[in-house]
Amino acid sequence: MKKYWEVFKITWQQLLIYRVNFALWRLRTILQLLLVYFIWWSVFQSQDKVFGYTTASILTYVLVAALMRAVVLSTRVTDMIDSINSGNIVNFLIKPLGFIRYYLTRDIADKLFNIGFYIAEVSLLILLLKPPIIIQTKLPVLIPFFIATLGGLVIYFCINFIVSLTAFWVENSWGPLFLMSVFLESLGGGLFPIDILPKPLFDILMLTPFPYLIYFPAKLYLGSMSYSEIISGFSIIFIWITVLVALMRVSINAGFRHFSAVGN
Amino acid sequence: MSVISVKNLKKYYQVYQKEPGFWGSIQALFLRKYYNIKAVDGISFEIPEGELVGFIGPNGAGKTTTLKVLSGLLYPTSGEVRVLGLKPFERQKQFQANISLIMGQKNQLWWDLPAWDSFILNKEIYEIDEGIFKKNVAKLSEMLGVEDILKIPVRKLSLGQRMKCELIVALLHSPKVLFLDEPTIGLDVVAQKNMRDFIKEYNEEFRATVILTSHYMGDVKELCKRVIIINEGEILYDGSLVSIVNKFAPYKVIKVDFEKEVDVEKLKEFGEIEKYSGNFVEVRIKKGEVFATATKLLSEFDVVDLNIEDPAIEDIVRDIFNAAK
Repeated sequence: MKKYWEVFKITWQQLLIYRVNFALWRLRTILQLLLVYFIWWSVFQSQDKVFGYTTASILTYVLVAALMRAVVLSTRVTDMIDSINSGNIVNFLIKPLGFIRYYLTRDIADKLFNIGFYIAEVSLLILLLKPPIIIQTKLPVLIPFFIATLGGLVIYFCINFIVSLTAFWVENSWGPLFLMSVFLESLGGGLFPIDILPKPLFDILMLTPFPYLIYFPAKLYLGSMSYSEIISGFSIIFIWITVLVALMRVSINAGFRHFSAVGN
Repeated sequence: MSVISVKNLKKYYQVYQKEPGFWGSIQALFLRKYYNIKAVDGISFEIPEGELVGFIGPNGAGKTTTLKVLSGLLYPTSGEVRVLGLKPFERQKQFQANISLIMGQKNQLWWDLPAWDSFILNKEIYEIDEGIFKKNVAKLSEMLGVEDILKIPVRKLSLGQRMKCELIVALLHSPKVLFLDEPTIGLDVVAQKNMRDFIKEYNEEFRATVILTSHYMGDVKELCKRVIIINEGEILYDGSLVSIVNKFAPYKVIKVDFEKEVDVEKLKEFGEIEKYSGNFVEVRIKKGEVFATATKLLSEFDVVDLNIEDPAIEDIVRDIFNAAK
């Protein structure tokens, strides 16, 4: 276990080295947050309730969605692409080191780092803007929220892992990743709660893994979901995790086999 | 018992041609033109403990492929491979903990961090005892003379310094078997020399079994008593460096300095002329005829100096490769 703790530490050290890079990345997330925040704030200037959301619930949604970005969407798995393309992946394959565990550790390190900054930034934002927000204290709401967040995290990890592994076969895995990030931002609920979309579209979206990364946990936090929605949500998370974990394992084996057959 | 045993190893790649880029890959999903590359085509050899063997061959000869199979990265198409009695491709912990692969063109050091941080990571990965770790770092960095650069970010180091740190990080767990793929590539003459000295010292001190590939004959000449010459996936020669000369070069080279300029036409009857510059000539002569030829040269011309030498290893190896084409 100690080796993964060392992987964790070296990931943080690496993040600390690229201070400017990291500062810019945080600046980007803050601007993104402020942008969405003020769009919704101005929508509510003229009316009290839009799409069934109050000012407090929508602004809370925006802040929780930002938290989901830090917890779920921050990742180092995609580093794998460069490592495969450059051939440096051989350095992992000859060492007594678990491939999935290595990247999972890197991911957790990255997430904790980002969460730290999120807390600082959002506290500042709340102090300065004093928005009306909902502080959720009910355990029966918070526990499903935490579980759903964890589920989203696993889904995102698997998706990224699978897409990154395509680097074994194609030269440009950043293409599909970029496409995926567009899907995540819009269909995952990063910009707006997706239940404001037309019902048929919303129903279809809820069958895809994307809403479970941001929308579903954020909505759970608000405590405004019906039991049937919650149960069906968790069932779909469970199904996706089962499918994605299996697919990830198959992809890893196939990737290694391809690598060992073709070399690099 | 042999530490490395290879029996009739074959490694064929199926390679396909594809248009560049992502869309080319999509196209290639449906329509691919395959062809086979025989990277390694039926080689066998045994290497006992503590031996330092040089693998030489031109680019694409199959050297790196062989090392990759031996280190468990590639699955052999056929044949039997054992390293330390284990099958490399099974990648057992016991195997991984006892080997190391250093590729001159790949790096395992963390680019943005000082080498020291990568050392600590490897210490944990290989579960190296704190005391042994400290001792090894001290010893290896002293042998390579890099004690004072271990705390500088790797990206700020020169290529030579970086390669030395790469060597250290790969040797911290005291591997019993060491695969070195072009360890001196891109290094200047001084750094090459340092690297060679180090490899030799490491091999002697730790009784490590080492396979070294290189296309610098200098590396091999200085380090390896035994060489394996490989070309187009097949072994052309496996034996001592010294006996290459006997086996592949049934000739000697006579170098003569003349008092005055000598017509090249008059020299042609003595043997195959390799170099000629008016009053200097270098002639290839069959081994049995050396004495007669030298006597004749001395009696017919005004000779200032005459040397009889074995041909240079470089030339012999080049001839072997040319003949194999």
